[in-house]
Amino acid sequence: MNFRIAYIIARDEWRYWLRSRLSVAALVAASILIVAALISTITQVQTERTTRENFQAEAINTFESQPARHPHRMIHYGHYVFRTPAPLSVIDLGVDAAAGTVMFLEGHRQNSAVFTPNYSSANAGQLAELSPAFAYQVLTPLLLIILGFASISRERESATETLLYSISVAPLELWMGKIIALSGAALMSLLPLSLGLGLAISAGEHAGVAAYMLSGYALYLLTWVFIITAVSSSCQASSTALTLLLAGWIFFCIVISPVASGIASTGGAYEGKVVSDIAVQQALRGSGDGHNEADPAFDQFKMQLLQQYNVESIESLPINIRGMISKNAEEKQTQILNRFSDRRMEAARTQSRIVYWFGLLSPALALKNFSMNVAGTSLSEYQRFQHQAENVRFDFVQRLNNLHAEQLSYSDDINRSKDHQSEQRTRISPVHWKMLQPVAHHEDNEQERVSESLPHFIMLFFWCVFGAIWSVTRATRGAANAA
Amino acid sequence: MTKSLVTASKLCVERGNRRVLDNISFTINKGDIFALLGGNGAGKSTTLLTFLGFVKPSSGEAIINGIKVEEDIQAARGQIAYLPESANLYAHLSAYENIEYFLSLAQISRSSQEISLSLDDVKLAPKMRIEPLSSYSKGMRQKVAIALAMLRRSPLLLLDEPTSGLDPVAIDEFNTILKALADAGTTIFMVTHDVYGACEIAKRVGLLQQGKMASVFEAVGETKISAEAVHQAFRQSQPS
Repeated sequence: MNFRIAYIIARDEWRYWLRSRLSVAALVAASILIVAALISTITQVQTERTTRENFQAEAINTFESQPARHPHRMIHYGHYVFRTPAPLSVIDLGVDAAAGTVMFLEGHRQNSAVFTPNYSSANAGQLAELSPAFAYQVLTPLLLIILGFASISRERESATETLLYSISVAPLELWMGKIIALSGAALMSLLPLSLGLGLAISAGEHAGVAAYMLSGYALYLLTWVFIITAVSSSCQASSTALTLLLAGWIFFCIVISPVASGIASTGGAYEGKVVSDIAVQQALRGSGDGHNEADPAFDQFKMQLLQQYNVESIESLPINIRGMISKNAEEKQTQILNRFSDRRMEAARTQSRIVYWFGLLSPALALKNFSMNVAGTSLSEYQRFQHQAENVRFDFVQRLNNLHAEQLSYSDDINRSKDHQSEQRTRISPVHWKMLQPVAHHEDNEQERVSESLPHFIMLFFWCVFGAIWSVTRATRGAANAA
Repeated sequence: MTKSLVTASKLCVERGNRRVLDNISFTINKGDIFALLGGNGAGKSTTLLTFLGFVKPSSGEAIINGIKVEEDIQAARGQIAYLPESANLYAHLSAYENIEYFLSLAQISRSSQEISLSLDDVKLAPKMRIEPLSSYSKGMRQKVAIALAMLRRSPLLLLDEPTSGLDPVAIDEFNTILKALADAGTTIFMVTHDVYGACEIAKRVGLLQQGKMASVFEAVGETKISAEAVHQAFRQSQPS
């Protein structure tokens, strides 16, 4: 193959596009759309990040600045944790819009994440969340189709294909020329993505992860380049090529994703929140009331404590039995809550796995799964947030239970509603409230994100290889059609 | 002594169960114009495509300047300038740009002066040369294609129905250019429906009938081939 000839053909293809009103209009429209998507998403994410970080700081400050109180009141006073947007969410918002952003943490409960009050007020639906990921996954292939659907069929229709072959241009050189031209357009379309990734790096994302994301998008667009040239090589008429490619685009980019979600919801169905909450309440009922040290559910635990401290009565214990009971109850309840929570998460992961396999039917879906996982806006990342929030909850609740057990005397505790001085003594200093653990940042789990996205990247790679083989096969067979 | 540039030797081409070319043989001498006539489906274009290497013969040989096409397609194509029937070239490019583009792909270097001279030779109006071909008539596009072929300086020019769709004036202009090319030593092999045009310029005319060479007419000296005789043979060759 003579690459100089391929380059000359590619250069002419660009010249053709620049002289075609349709191509220029498509290039301009797509550029505006991608840049607009990037700017709007960056603005949205930065606003969300600032808002949530401010809320988070305020929540911590509010908790820590509480006056002297009974530690168990602080357990019920609770704390808010906010899910801050990942740096790469400027590219892919992922499940951010559908998953809650703030979680209220308190004792004895695992609350669902909900949305911040100002989150949805300006949200006008799906189009209002036009992200660069959406633009690249759905709209850029359309641009490439508009540019490339006639790349080879046009030569056939105008008989220039035979003319080219008659002057010793090889079919593979013609094919390579078209591939270079269309890949150039795809590469240029990735410039705004690179800017977005640069911004994500400046916000703390690892450069390697950003480059990995870029390579995934490049593979996807290259797959489309191959598919487009393969179809264009196969068709005698450009109109047929356009029809087939648009049908393929609708199938890959529009149809498969909701079909996959629908099948995943059916195939990996799990009980809704109401059913789940009833089941949780039933399970918790047997675990005892941690507010009542006389609850028979804790008899064995009390016996253990008495034996451990070698005393006859709970009044003689060097620690406050109420705090210990509360701690023990929290541990048992958390085990039960985690069991249900893990079940729900596993069911959600099962659905994700079903959707994952649908990536075999659509490179757009493979890229969507890849992009969300790398960006840290996937279901996995959301579940990590839930786990971290639960760790924060359990940690501060048990720290407060320890304070309850160690700092408060049992006699003051049981008399606090009858005796003012006892009540005052059960209020412990606010200095203890500085106990909250932070939720880990997205930037710190790049290894998990890369490993979770790797199967999707491999799927994209195979799509690209398949596209290349198909395209080159059609291109060489197409030479026979030229005559 | 004249030497043959093109040789078809017992050429057979089959498509499916149908024999499209059936044992045809002919030669074309250097600098001659050979016109292949025949009805629709007689095998004219297939003969051209076989010499271009786009169609593989089931038996026999197509030879250009001593090169067997089947053995070395690229070398054989290097001897040919080809004008397909619908030689639209590139509608978005001007005459200059089309010629420059094709020459660069053929890896042939020609100065802009040479290109202008070539366009002068085919009498393409200078003001049109920078206009995109989308604004050209078919005759004008043919002129550009001929200019390109001239610039390639290929020994053999293959033409597929070159005058179809041209008006009489354009046909006359086109034939004049072809004669000038032949006089300059270019061998021309054309397939056409135009009996009178072919007889006007061709040294020899072959008549294909259902894939077989039914008859060959030859001009003797300055006497042109009798169009009436060819026309009569053509009519007789058509299935009733």
